[in-house]
Amino acid sequence: MAPSLDLANLPDADVVTLAQQGREAAFRELLRRYERPVFSLIFRMVRDREISEDLAQDTFIKVLNHIDRYRPEFKLSSWLFKIANNVAIDYLRKRQLDTISIDGSPHAATAAEVEATSFDLTARQESALEEMEARELGSAIERAIARLRPEYRSCIMLRHVEGRSYEEIAATLDLPLGTVKTYIHRARHELREALEHVKGPG
Amino acid sequence: MEHRHLLPDEIDQLLDGEAGFGVAPLLAHVENCPKCRAELADARQVVNALERMPHFAPSPLFRDRVMTQVQVFEPWHVSALDTAKRWLPASRPARFIGVAATSVFALVVSLSAVWMAVRLDAFLFFFDLAGQRARTALFDSLGGAIATTFGSAAVDTLRTGGVAAIAGVTSFLVIVVLAAVGLRALVATARRRRAT
Repeated sequence: MAPSLDLANLPDADVVTLAQQGREAAFRELLRRYERPVFSLIFRMVRDREISEDLAQDTFIKVLNHIDRYRPEFKLSSWLFKIANNVAIDYLRKRQLDTISIDGSPHAATAAEVEATSFDLTARQESALEEMEARELGSAIERAIARLRPEYRSCIMLRHVEGRSYEEIAATLDLPLGTVKTYIHRARHELREALEHVKGPG
Repeated sequence: MEHRHLLPDEIDQLLDGEAGFGVAPLLAHVENCPKCRAELADARQVVNALERMPHFAPSPLFRDRVMTQVQVFEPWHVSALDTAKRWLPASRPARFIGVAATSVFALVVSLSAVWMAVRLDAFLFFFDLAGQRARTALFDSLGGAIATTFGSAAVDTLRTGGVAAIAGVTSFLVIVVLAAVGLRALVATARRRRAT
């Protein structure tokens, strides 16, 4: 019988090696370690639980099905965050294209047809957001982050929620180091302005 | 430094906790400048709030949903190595005895092979003799059954084919049995691996 391993205490690189050897328990351990950080990153990018789960699922399927391509000189988490960020950004870009139609069908000839074929995406999102925030987030900073540009969002979350260095963020997001610093600086500035009215003492 | 307030980049340096030659004058300035001190405190408050943000959990079935779409492939050499490891004794003395016994067995087989190569004529004589006796014994006991199952032609072929025919049939049967046992062991190992 294969020797039983305490996977929880192994470093990522060793767990990946076991996954490359076809051990399902190692795949599950990687999922256990990173499902929350990856899901959180995506959720804070797209702000929809169901879509976030789908995108997080896509991320893990892409990574775990190509685990043999993993290069140990990079952090597994960086690879995961890179894919997660890419799928989230792709989704946001696609949604941005989709939102063109919220003003109504381009084929609508009359004002009534325009009204009938349009829908208020902002209102729908706001109500969903408010519900989500009341239930799960419940803080002003989450709302402020939601208003940041997506690229600022991923940078600021990798920096402060995941505790990554500027260099790691640059490598993860394929951005120049100076750009990462600029994004984080601007994100902090925008967050400070957004939180001006809710800041308490200390 | 005394005559101006901190620049945004300098505030960032302090926020990131950078330690270096240039940081000391910035800290000294913050000590003496209420405006910069307040600005740094504001910025630090935002950073603290960010760092306290929790991770969200996906639904409880998330892992299972992912795993249904992940191809878990176990390379043959890993499976073979695990099978070999299963035969290896766990304790050190038992492992030593196992290695010693295997070495003695390998030595005996090697010496026998060398002897057979040197004394090939004698080996063939004894092998042929043993083959004849085995064949006689086989036909005495199984001749009737073989004739009934495969016909009298099979009995004649085996009788006249000599050692080569018997060795061929025996080798074929041994290979079939070994292949079946080996495949079964590999499948069992793979199942156990999936379960761990």
